[in-house]
Amino acid sequence: MNTYLRYIVLLFSSIFLAPLMAQTTTTEFSLDNGLKVIVREDHRAPVVVSQLWYKVGSSYEVPGNTGLAHALEHMMFKGSSKLGPGESSRILRELGAEENAFTSDDYTAYYQVIARDRLAVALEMEADRLAGLTLPEDEFIREIEVIKEERRMRTDDRPSGLAYERFKALAYPASGYHIPTIGWMHDLERMTIEDLRNWHQRWYAPNNATLVIVGDVEPTAVKALVQRYFAHIPARPLPSVKQPLELDEPGQRSITLHLKTQLPSLMMGFNVPSLTSSNNPNDVHALRLISALLDGGNSSRIPTQLEREQELVVGASAWYNAFTRGSSLFILSATPNVQKGKTIAEVEQGLWQQIKQLQKTPPSAAELARVRAQVVASEVYAQDSITSQATQIGMLETVGLSWRIQEQDLAALETITPADIQAAAQKYFTNTRLTTAYIYPEEARP
Amino acid sequence: MISLRILTGGVISAALLIISGCSTLNVQPTQQLDTAEQSISSLAALSKQSPASRELDIQTWHTNSGTKVLFMKAPELPMFDLRLTFAAGSSKDQNILGLANLTNAMLNEGSGQLDADAIAARFEDLGAQFSSGSYRDMAVVSLRSLTDPQLSEPALELFSSITAQPSFPTDSLARIKNQLLAGFEYQKQDPGKLASLTLFKQLYGSHPYANPSVGTAETVPMISRKQLQDFHRTYYTAENAQIALVGDLTLAQAQAISEKVTARLPRGTTAAKTVNPIARSASQTHIEFPSTQTQIFLAQLAVKRGDPDYPALFLGNQIFGGGGFGTRLMEEVREKRGLTYGIYSSFSPMQAAGPFMISVKTRAQLSQATLEFIQELLRDYIANGPTQSELDRAKRESLGSFPLSAASNASIVGQMAAIGFYDMPLTWLNDFMQDLQKLTVTDVHEAFKRHLNPDQLIIVTAGPTVKQNPLPNPVDRTEVTQPMERQH
Repeated sequence: MNTYLRYIVLLFSSIFLAPLMAQTTTTEFSLDNGLKVIVREDHRAPVVVSQLWYKVGSSYEVPGNTGLAHALEHMMFKGSSKLGPGESSRILRELGAEENAFTSDDYTAYYQVIARDRLAVALEMEADRLAGLTLPEDEFIREIEVIKEERRMRTDDRPSGLAYERFKALAYPASGYHIPTIGWMHDLERMTIEDLRNWHQRWYAPNNATLVIVGDVEPTAVKALVQRYFAHIPARPLPSVKQPLELDEPGQRSITLHLKTQLPSLMMGFNVPSLTSSNNPNDVHALRLISALLDGGNSSRIPTQLEREQELVVGASAWYNAFTRGSSLFILSATPNVQKGKTIAEVEQGLWQQIKQLQKTPPSAAELARVRAQVVASEVYAQDSITSQATQIGMLETVGLSWRIQEQDLAALETITPADIQAAAQKYFTNTRLTTAYIYPEEARP
Repeated sequence: MISLRILTGGVISAALLIISGCSTLNVQPTQQLDTAEQSISSLAALSKQSPASRELDIQTWHTNSGTKVLFMKAPELPMFDLRLTFAAGSSKDQNILGLANLTNAMLNEGSGQLDADAIAARFEDLGAQFSSGSYRDMAVVSLRSLTDPQLSEPALELFSSITAQPSFPTDSLARIKNQLLAGFEYQKQDPGKLASLTLFKQLYGSHPYANPSVGTAETVPMISRKQLQDFHRTYYTAENAQIALVGDLTLAQAQAISEKVTARLPRGTTAAKTVNPIARSASQTHIEFPSTQTQIFLAQLAVKRGDPDYPALFLGNQIFGGGGFGTRLMEEVREKRGLTYGIYSSFSPMQAAGPFMISVKTRAQLSQATLEFIQELLRDYIANGPTQSELDRAKRESLGSFPLSAASNASIVGQMAAIGFYDMPLTWLNDFMQDLQKLTVTDVHEAFKRHLNPDQLIIVTAGPTVKQNPLPNPVDRTEVTQPMERQH
């Protein structure tokens, strides 16, 4: 049932290893009003995806006004100068398009997948809600209830969602990344249509957006279309934006939660840089490789050692998003194998053993060769989906990187030595950077 | 996503999704979006033609051991997708609930001298991706690989041996059982899951579809290695399998691959088709759960694959609650009243009759009013059918979405697997599309009346018992609102 849901929380939007794009034709241009456009040709099927990415997300919000980026995303479907509430969705549906939108800490994006001859309709309507959004109050009064239902479904009634929200609020003490994208319930209760009008006014300008089009199109024709619908929208001065930066070593923190869950679980997060916040990209690539060594497939260390060999966990994962516009976290999470009598404390110890192993011994050449083989293959596999191609381009551009870094990605990863990996593990996996969340069933409350 | 929908019981949208050997459907243009055309100039300019669709040239043959193969050449990317489908889903569990699923989950735990670690490492050294899954009707085993023979040949060799000659090691069996037991614990914290388990029990009674494919906390621990071996020998046979294959391969290569992956499979027979369930009378069940929302399901047994009414039910459901925004349910329940984040309805035709189902979550205080409101909407739709303009829009939607379904190898292989498994003609999707375009309001209305009875619904709710509130008034969408003033 998820395909139509308007809002995908990209909680763990880390691309495990950004695949490269080989032998594709990608064209880039900008309109005079600052709208950046990237077109990638993929002529396998007469279909195209259009994604408009805005450089704004929940990390741009302030306390008391959380949830605005996401709420505005919902209201973007409630009418614009040429269209009544819900009308663009009805039109796109009748045209056979697949459409949706998603909001994350760093971005808000809208997309349509559509038969190539209908691209103009998608662009015309997208431009209209950029330039002339209606934001009617009576629609907002209903829609904010929808958003509260969404919060109840994804967070309040879902122990893993709730735990991650609280964990994240603690793990990012200094930056807007502590804000949950959906917003705190008490902020949703007091949000007004005026807040949303201001938000749209402030951030929705062509010079704050990137349009990505991938599919069976020809760049010159696309350029003419984009100009027809977007060129008349004037650029506007944008608020000055500060990169969300964290303290390097905020100090050791922990949170204990008793939730409506049957099984206990554990999350550990280390404050680490991303590709945009680090002066040393090699550190970041080393952390990406560590994530792959730990959890990059069924043969990686966590499934092999913790799941199968020690039977310590029934599930565990490591993830790291190197592609954020500010600081990042390296996160480990695990559920103990309670059937084998394993406890949270033992799991915590087991995860530390994994970390110490990385700090003590550099990985073998065979392990790194396996990671490389997966990167090379995933670069080809990712080209099977026009949507995932567009998403990678849009995401990279929106966090302040270039889509072109995909082209050098394998080379960048290959410069990382086993000693670099060991050094990164020693530098970043310290108690002073660590936040731990202990999640227990309510019945275990002392 | 699309392929998953097929596998989980054949949800419809999958049915729309490919066309073989025909690029444009010959249909009458339907009534257009008249009012919107006045404001959206590109809409007015749009050709009334149906959009072009990718040509899918599917070839089919049988391997020497009798397995049916569907192959499509896709030379654009140096990769291929292989999917083996067996009639080995949980409807074959007999009384050992979870046996089919556990057999499937154990395939890559060992074969010959190789254990789970060695199998995982070997696939990943080659950049190959192995996956498997088990559902009510079918069990699936898949491989995605690069076409470079140095990579694909060893990957196929490994794939063939774990599919045909799994060793089902006992230490792995104990471990996987523990992981499944943890999964059952997770189910207990999810009211939606609890409600769905009860719903299938209420719908199917003693029919095998009543049981969860993963089994239960009582049955899974009892399953023995011998039972897995027997199940594998009986159902993972060449005669009980179909192959779907898409990628950068010549016909000769595709033939060689299909021979290779079936040569060592056990020999046997095609499994018997799942018998049809007996419809059960209306019921309402409530599960008390301390959540903030209440999960509501309304359902009834409806159609199986191949039912001549299916196109009419499919199209009618697209109007009522299928697929997302713009349906009656989404418009009335979410858009106008803010009662939920999502509400949808579906027909899930399987080998035997699958359910028609409506699913929604709403705040507990409004659950009773919402349930009654949905029943009213369904009653009205069954009594009066869709309007002509709703029908026209749904037909146009199905034509427009057609090309999307063949945009990736991943979605094509999923649809070919469904065609193979349900033994449909290669032209089935094209035929289906043509059938949809011929339907009238009366056809849809009559089909709904034949298959659904608003007084025979099986209803399951899960949530807390709280004081109930009345429905809020709907937002009035008749007035045209003006865009806000922009200060540039």
